[in-house]
Formats: sequence, C-alpha cells, structure tokens
Amino acid sequence: MSVPQLDDLDRQLIEVLARDARVSNRKIAIDLGVTEGTVRGRIKRLQMDGLISFTAITSFGLADSARMAFIGVEVNVSEARGVAERIAELPSVNAVMITMGRFNVLAICLFNSLDNLLELASDQILSMPGVHHVETSIAVKTVKYNARVVRITEADRARLDVAGDDA
Amino acid sequence: MSNDFSIDDVDRAIVEQLRLNGRATNQQIANTLGLTAATVSARIRRMEDANKLRVVAVSDFSAHGYNVLMEVAIEVDGRPAVDVVEELVQFPEVFAAHLVTGRYDIDMLVVLRDFDELPDLFLTKFGKIDGIRSMVPAIAVDVIKYKFDVAPIDARGEE
Repeated sequence: MSVPQLDDLDRQLIEVLARDARVSNRKIAIDLGVTEGTVRGRIKRLQMDGLISFTAITSFGLADSARMAFIGVEVNVSEARGVAERIAELPSVNAVMITMGRFNVLAICLFNSLDNLLELASDQILSMPGVHHVETSIAVKTVKYNARVVRITEADRARLDVAGDDA
Repeated sequence: MSNDFSIDDVDRAIVEQLRLNGRATNQQIANTLGLTAATVSARIRRMEDANKLRVVAVSDFSAHGYNVLMEVAIEVDGRPAVDVVEELVQFPEVFAAHLVTGRYDIDMLVVLRDFDELPDLFLTKFGKIDGIRSMVPAIAVDVIKYKFDVAPIDARGEE
C-alpha cells in the first residue's frame, strides 16, 4: 500500500485529535495557527486515506476481570488467510495478523473468564478447518499498551460514507 | 477511582454512536437518539470525567511510517521478568509489552519503519539488557484487524 506523505501539520492534527476527538475545528485552527478550512480539509483527507478514524474507547468493566490473551494458531499456510479472516469476525477478538514464525496466525483478545477464553480458543478457533493447534498465553501484567494506533480497514473507511462528517 | 460509577442504556447508546463517528456533534447524536444536545453533552462529560470514556482519533500504523510489525516472545533467565520488561518498554520500537503465562515470560509487539532497523534494535539496543535468554519472533505479513475499543484509561493529565 502506498502511504501518502504526511507533513508536520498532519502529525500535529493527529496528536491533538488522539487526545480528544471532540475538540472543534475552530479551536484546533486557533491552537495550530491555521484556518478552519485547512483543518477541515486535512481531517477529511486523513480520514479518506484511511490514516485516522474517530472512535470511542471505554474502560467499562475492565477493572473487574477483563484480561488479554494471545492465541497463536497453527494452520495450513494455504488456509491462513481464510482462517485469519474468520477469526477477525469473532467479536471478542481485537487483533488478528497472519504471521511467519512459530505460528501462522496470531489473535489477541480480551476475555472476562477462563470459560470465555476456552470457548474461543477450543470451540471456535480450533474447530475451524485447517487449524492444527492453538496455543494460548495470558497477560498477567500489561506494562505497555497503545490503543491509539490501529489498523484502519476498508470496512472502517466504507463506514465513513454512511456516517458522514460534522463541521 | 470510583467503583460506584454506573452507566445506563442512554450512556450505552451514546457510546455506540461515538464508536461509529467520534466527531458527530452533540446535536446529531441527540437527533438520532431522541435526546437533547444538552443531555448528550452532559452524559459524555460525566463518563469522560470518571475516566470511563475517551473519544479519540486512532491512527493507522502506516500514518506513523510503521511498515513492519512483529510479535516477539521472550524467555528470561536469571532475572525477574518484570525488570527485563521495564527496560524493554523504554524503546519506542516496543509498541506493547505484557508479562504472560506459558512457555515464554514476555510477549511484546515491535514496530519498525524498515527491516534495516532490525539489527540495531536486536543487537545494540536489546543486546544491552541482561536476562534475555531467547527471543522468538512471529513476523506479521498482513494485519487483518487491530483495534481495541476497550482499554485502560489514564487520567487526562497523564496522557
């Protein structure tokens, strides 16, 4: 994928909006010393290029029991993409990548109980055609974590047309 | 941090709208849900003030020039894993790091602009850290999905 070149203003916009996406174009324009039209145009372009997306991050229920787990999946290489796409459709799975290494697909999920995790790893993922082995490890302590950098997918971009924009 | 904070269906509906479009105006959300803009504004502020909600821009790996993503599992020897991970996370290339159960002690995600950066990172930077017995990578050849809607939220000032 060719990545459009970002300049300093783009980077500043991303930084400001990563802290709070609900700040008005007007306030951003004043803070960064540019016009409101520039801010609006830049945001629109960054969205259209799939470089940023506006969303809500919540911590509801997280203090109780939610834990992160890494699920390494050994699957026939020819079937890795299909399996990865099916795993990505599971709602409790936050991240899926096709990998080269000690497994072919890595999934990262948040789970509330060991029963949930067992169901996900054994009942749902291990039962997929082509999957040989599933290896799970649980994060007991998270030392570094960044929810602000993500993969923006075609589906996310398509949603833009539906949601429209403010301003 | 308050443990008695509770959310109701109205809060949940507002959050759902914000997940779809974090830049929707209070008035747009109010119209969709049959509320007033003042209610929407007050509800969002209440959740934000309690550190239960952040409405943010998330950016794609490529916006930061990260073209290489890999997961690295680490076996630690002769030193508490928690001390090793504290040193690892000082490097900006270490994007996420966790102490984990199982065969390995640390699971981390590493981002690079280019594979050329790998020798310096592994040999020079990680090479100075005591207690790393082995590092086993899984290189992402395609990221199908990577998005966390739920995350620990720090107080505003600390971000």
